[in-house]
Amino acid sequence: MDLFSGLISGFQTTLQPINLLFCFAGVFIGTLIGVLPGIGPTGAISILLPISFGISPTAAIILLAGIYYGSQYGGSTTSILVNIPGEPSSVVTCLDGYQMARRGRAGPALGISAFGSFIGGTLSVIGLMFLVFPLAQAALKFGPPEFFSLICMGITLLIYMARGSIVKGIIMALFGFILSTVGIDLISGTARFSFGSPALLDGIGIVPLGMGLFGISEVLTNIEQPEGGVILQTKIKNLLPDLQDWKRSVGPITRGSLLGFFLGILPGGGALISSFVSYAVEKRISKHPETFGQGAIEGVAGPETANNAGTGGAFIPLFAFGLPSNAVMAILMAALMIHGVAPGPGFITEHAEIFWGVVASMYIGNCMLVLLNVPLIGIWVKLLQVPYRILMPMIVLFCLIGAYSLNNNVADVIIMITFGLVGYIMRKFDYEGAPLIMAYILGPMMELAFRQSMIISGGRLSIFLERPISAVILGITALLFISSGFSYYRKAKTGAIRKFASKAGD
Amino acid sequence: MANKSDIVVIIFWIGLSLFVLTFSFKLGLGNLRDPGPGFMPFLLGVVLFIICCFLLLKLLLKVYKRSEIVKEDHGHIYFWRIGLVLVSLYAYALLLETMGYLIATFILLSILFRSAGSKKWVVLLVSSAVTVLITFFAFTYLGLRFPMGILKWR
Repeated sequence: MDLFSGLISGFQTTLQPINLLFCFAGVFIGTLIGVLPGIGPTGAISILLPISFGISPTAAIILLAGIYYGSQYGGSTTSILVNIPGEPSSVVTCLDGYQMARRGRAGPALGISAFGSFIGGTLSVIGLMFLVFPLAQAALKFGPPEFFSLICMGITLLIYMARGSIVKGIIMALFGFILSTVGIDLISGTARFSFGSPALLDGIGIVPLGMGLFGISEVLTNIEQPEGGVILQTKIKNLLPDLQDWKRSVGPITRGSLLGFFLGILPGGGALISSFVSYAVEKRISKHPETFGQGAIEGVAGPETANNAGTGGAFIPLFAFGLPSNAVMAILMAALMIHGVAPGPGFITEHAEIFWGVVASMYIGNCMLVLLNVPLIGIWVKLLQVPYRILMPMIVLFCLIGAYSLNNNVADVIIMITFGLVGYIMRKFDYEGAPLIMAYILGPMMELAFRQSMIISGGRLSIFLERPISAVILGITALLFISSGFSYYRKAKTGAIRKFASKAGD
Repeated sequence: MANKSDIVVIIFWIGLSLFVLTFSFKLGLGNLRDPGPGFMPFLLGVVLFIICCFLLLKLLLKVYKRSEIVKEDHGHIYFWRIGLVLVSLYAYALLLETMGYLIATFILLSILFRSAGSKKWVVLLVSSAVTVLITFFAFTYLGLRFPMGILKWR
């Protein structure tokens, strides 16, 4: 199927009333959770995953993907009007977006972020269409050793690009791998770490794990502090940016689209890193960097475009290699697998309807999002006034119903609450959940690839270096490790010198 | 700089890795030609153990060098709220099938609304009752079977 006929068939799939409804529901829920601080796309997708079991895989992925890219649109509204990021990827939008709103320019800030998001989102879908085929073709040449090396590189990149400590990232990834070994071993049939509990024989479910780590823990984190954040009492007018605003934003939007798309492909990249890099680039190349942080429209246009462009790029490793690049993609992959669809090199040809349906839904979803976020912005602003004391019990209740509905079993509820507590404690000690969930999803694939490689080679570890593609990937992984170790050492050394200098000064 | 709690967390990870090592050893490691079910968990346990021992050593050296142990300041945290929510969630899970969805969820929601900051009891009880009924009928319509517990009439 060529690109054009594929896209036409994709539109035919998406334009079916039921799929269109799920596309709208996805972007609507996405915008909603983006606007409301306190729950992110990972948590929302985990919570809604059980709902997707009863619908077709195409509709399920259209719905869940819509939540993901829709949340990137909504996140900017809270950043601009309340100075609290609705999503982590909208953190940098607070810097200039809120300043613009304080100066009475909330309208253009919201407008440019919506239009930038639309342009970035649409361009990234075009990029996805063109890049995923050659990569999927290349992936057909991959055997177990190559996949093992690729998973190692993916996890290393994720840890490397993590926000916090690299060592903590490694610990979380190892914990995720260990959790993935719970249940019956597929090769020998032995029960591992199940302690005689029937609930653990099938392993820990991704839904209770995700809901606990990202939903319940988020709620616990939010209830520990009194409510904060005041909505800026400003009239939102002139949502359409003027010619001057457009002139200043064309460059940031173009650069943001490219940066966001390519960074989104990298494991651990996605929307968050894209927005930060875009802001840094815009500030560095600006003729007036001093205006950044004071309400520069470039500081809103670039990052908001980049975080949406990142969402399209993030689908490429999932569709081409069957490897998720971030926590949201990991849960989307779990959703596909629950429906009996395995993402990977053969996915695009074997499940062309799902692939093209999702691609077409992203075009349509982006158009819906502009309509939702520009003319209907007033509704979202009103929603910002819903107090957390009402939202919190609702989020918890949906998590409980979602976990129970999996198998009509309270064991899943207990697992979810326990991982909620684990997630909360992890947050307190700055351990990130993303490496854990990624490693949890990739763990069984990595173990299988490793054991198959060992059987193929007769127990020779050198097989990973003898195969050229695997050797190159492992070489890159080693370089990443060395580079992160070097930067860790340099930071420690600089810290020690500074400390010594300050003591000498005293 | 080192926190006492950082050391406690690292000790927890070391404990976990030792547990994984022991358990996976019992599962059977096999060999490189034919890795057993305990092979991969054992490998993961070894890596986790080494990293955590290295971290612990580093933290202890910092403490030994008296490079101040930092006292954590988390601001004003309502720990009682978290404790209350967690205890009620576990109690809910344990009592759900005995008490039934309607009663257990009504009690849980009342506690959650209260711990989230709702002050007026009448509003709180009415909101809980309405939410329970709406979710019960909506999800039953979608095909979910909730436990009826003591309200089961047959």
